Amino acid sequence: MALTRSVAFRKLLALPPDVRRRLWSSAVSVTPGKPDIYDVVCIGGGPAGLSFASALKAHSATRALKVALIDAQDITTSRTGNDGDAYSNRCSSLTPASSRFLRKIGAWDHINTGRVQPYHAMDVWDGVSGSKIHFDPRRYEAGSDYGVVATMCENGNLTAALLQRLQALTTGDAGAGSVCDILDKTKVESIELGPQPETEETVDLSQWPIVMTSQGQLAARLLVGADGANSPVRQFVDIPSHGWDYGQHGVVATLELEQTFAADEVRTAFQRFLPTGPIALLPLPGNKASLVWSTSPQHAAKLKQLPPNDFVAMVSAAFRLMPVDVNFMLSPDMAVTPSEELRWREPATSPSSTGLPSTFPWITGVQEGSIASFPLRMRHADTYTGHRVALIGDAAHTIHPLAGQGLNLGLADAEALANQITYGMEHGMDIGSSWCLDGYNSERWAANNAMLGVVDKLQKLYSASAGPVVWSRSLGLEAVERMSWVKGALMGVAAGAK
Amino acid sequence: MSLAEVLRLPVALRRATLTKAFIPQPILASRAYTPTFQHLQRRHGTTDAAPHTTSSSVNHTEVSHFNALASSWWDPQGSSRLLHLMNPLRHRFIRRCLAYDDRDEAQKLRYLDIGCGGGIFAESAARLSTTRSVTAIDPTPEVIAVAKRHQRTDPSLLEAGRLTYLNTAIEDLPNHDDGRYDIITLFEVIEHIQRPSPFLQSCISHLKPGGWLIGSTIARTPVSWFTTKLVAEDLLRIVPRGTHNWNQYIQPQEMRDWARMQPELSTSDGIDWQVMGVVYVPGVGWRQVKGSEAWGNYFFGVRKRWDAE
Repeated sequence: MALTRSVAFRKLLALPPDVRRRLWSSAVSVTPGKPDIYDVVCIGGGPAGLSFASALKAHSATRALKVALIDAQDITTSRTGNDGDAYSNRCSSLTPASSRFLRKIGAWDHINTGRVQPYHAMDVWDGVSGSKIHFDPRRYEAGSDYGVVATMCENGNLTAALLQRLQALTTGDAGAGSVCDILDKTKVESIELGPQPETEETVDLSQWPIVMTSQGQLAARLLVGADGANSPVRQFVDIPSHGWDYGQHGVVATLELEQTFAADEVRTAFQRFLPTGPIALLPLPGNKASLVWSTSPQHAAKLKQLPPNDFVAMVSAAFRLMPVDVNFMLSPDMAVTPSEELRWREPATSPSSTGLPSTFPWITGVQEGSIASFPLRMRHADTYTGHRVALIGDAAHTIHPLAGQGLNLGLADAEALANQITYGMEHGMDIGSSWCLDGYNSERWAANNAMLGVVDKLQKLYSASAGPVVWSRSLGLEAVERMSWVKGALMGVAAGAK
Repeated sequence: MSLAEVLRLPVALRRATLTKAFIPQPILASRAYTPTFQHLQRRHGTTDAAPHTTSSSVNHTEVSHFNALASSWWDPQGSSRLLHLMNPLRHRFIRRCLAYDDRDEAQKLRYLDIGCGGGIFAESAARLSTTRSVTAIDPTPEVIAVAKRHQRTDPSLLEAGRLTYLNTAIEDLPNHDDGRYDIITLFEVIEHIQRPSPFLQSCISHLKPGGWLIGSTIARTPVSWFTTKLVAEDLLRIVPRGTHNWNQYIQPQEMRDWARMQPELSTSDGIDWQVMGVVYVPGVGWRQVKGSEAWGNYFFGVRKRWDAE
């Protein structure tokens, strides 16, 4: 989409708003050095950025804001395949709070629901002691989202739905007077402050961020960084981000199960805490499942080199065998293949000693090309806002995937920021000012910090294999297992209930 | 705050509260037998020590006080922070007043903001989609300069006619029928005016019939002396010293009694006369507190009669 440039900016400003808006979106001329003025420029077209832009366009108070969304990738043509047999390895577990937000902004209707899988129960167990906790479906009713713990959804399915929603909101009759320029395949070259005003009378953009792109310059009343963990927007405002690397890699893959499930069956998510990190099997439609295995970089490297049948055997071993056996099978001096090892070790391992749930399915295959890994980090920005700048999603925080919260926190940020801007618009605020943005920072920073802290402590607690730590955490898990109301509360938190 | 509550204060504080609060207030003492609007009338008739033109409401001591504060209007942590925090409530109160009108929604509103200062309210009103134009005036030249400089940092406010600042007193503002306003606002202004009655009369002459005169000020009570003078200015210093003159504070009842005396104004309860008490809670912000108009900060709104000139 071509960027528009105004020739005589001041003359345009003197025109009535509706005439001006028409001119603004149709005038294509070349005046280097004059930035186009936007109310909101969002860098990053991932789930956080797209849901934020959709939320603005879906609300009557904010739909007239002139919005630009910039992404270096081609987000308008890349869509998830409709091949029912192939699922992306990039899946997220959407909490009911996230689903509610997506419904509120009208994006859920565009989701390909044949490719999402709600789950209703969770089995979590301790790999060292075998103590376990089972979260039952709460008043599950088939066909409703009542009792749903979370819904597995491919990130591509979600972004495609958000993009469709955004386009529906900004084109045709429904989109009249509502601008959202999607500048994909557009690289942000730099972000600078605007020039000093030419005279004492002209507009002063010297405190406005100007985004320099391969397609032109955009001046932003509010610049939103939805641009990921290495956020250029965060670097532009010089907000420090603190945290640590876990020394773990997350290995993801799309798996095939022996059993094929019907769409309305009660589904269970499984997670086992090994000393090297948690391993989780999350249900996808039919006989598919999504794997997230946090482990040492050495193990991750070894896993990625294994042939498919050995990879499957190794994943099964990680759920079914004792941790010492799992480590042994991944050690460099292992001469026998994991498949052969699993064949004799599995029958020799009693499920009561490992805590293996009786319903745990047999894994039969791995989708070709779906195995990938990435380093795991904890990062939290000192603040989410600056003058004319706000950070959302991974630009603000990076979290360990063990609770599946990363994307959900990003959607919650998008919702909170859009709400704050609605409030600002209704009260005549400059939406880039601290008066408008402070509320977003105070609402989300503390909430995210609490979630980051809990997940980080869980990760550390379950990385230990020293006796006293294991006993006490097992006692804790067993105690929770016996207290149904605590479990109910935990489920509520995991499900994003407020 | 009741007398019993004052008595519970530490001795030194109590003494300060009592001397300052109860001695210089002939108005409160005489309220039992004089109409309360006398407060407004009497000051009208008094010759002030400060020099002023015969036609102007402008107090020159106030002008130089606000000149000195001009640079901090738009600093988020500066001395105007409380005003910024109060601004959303101003819009909420205006909406509450307008809710009683059967106005055509498409009819955009013309605002006149008197005593606009650095433009906190004027800018925000100019940004609303329901606004046609805002004219904002202030007698202090330096704050108008600050307001104009800040206006230039937002291109949407530079649209012709959207927001116009004038360095003038209300008495010097040209008055003609087609240039009258739907809403005239006086936020935190009356307590800075020495002769409020003629000042308010010049304001209503600029209102369209059916238009609203909306403002906020502080009731003259021991509580407001304690919170706005002692705590805010002297102890916490969140408001610059010398900002307020407690003797110029006005009770909501005095406002209403004055309004009843004006033939152009309509003051029937709830429809043409609105009042809302607000309290600043540190760490939380401004909150509406029912009944607090009697002893603290409050908003008032009064409508010009539809059949008025």
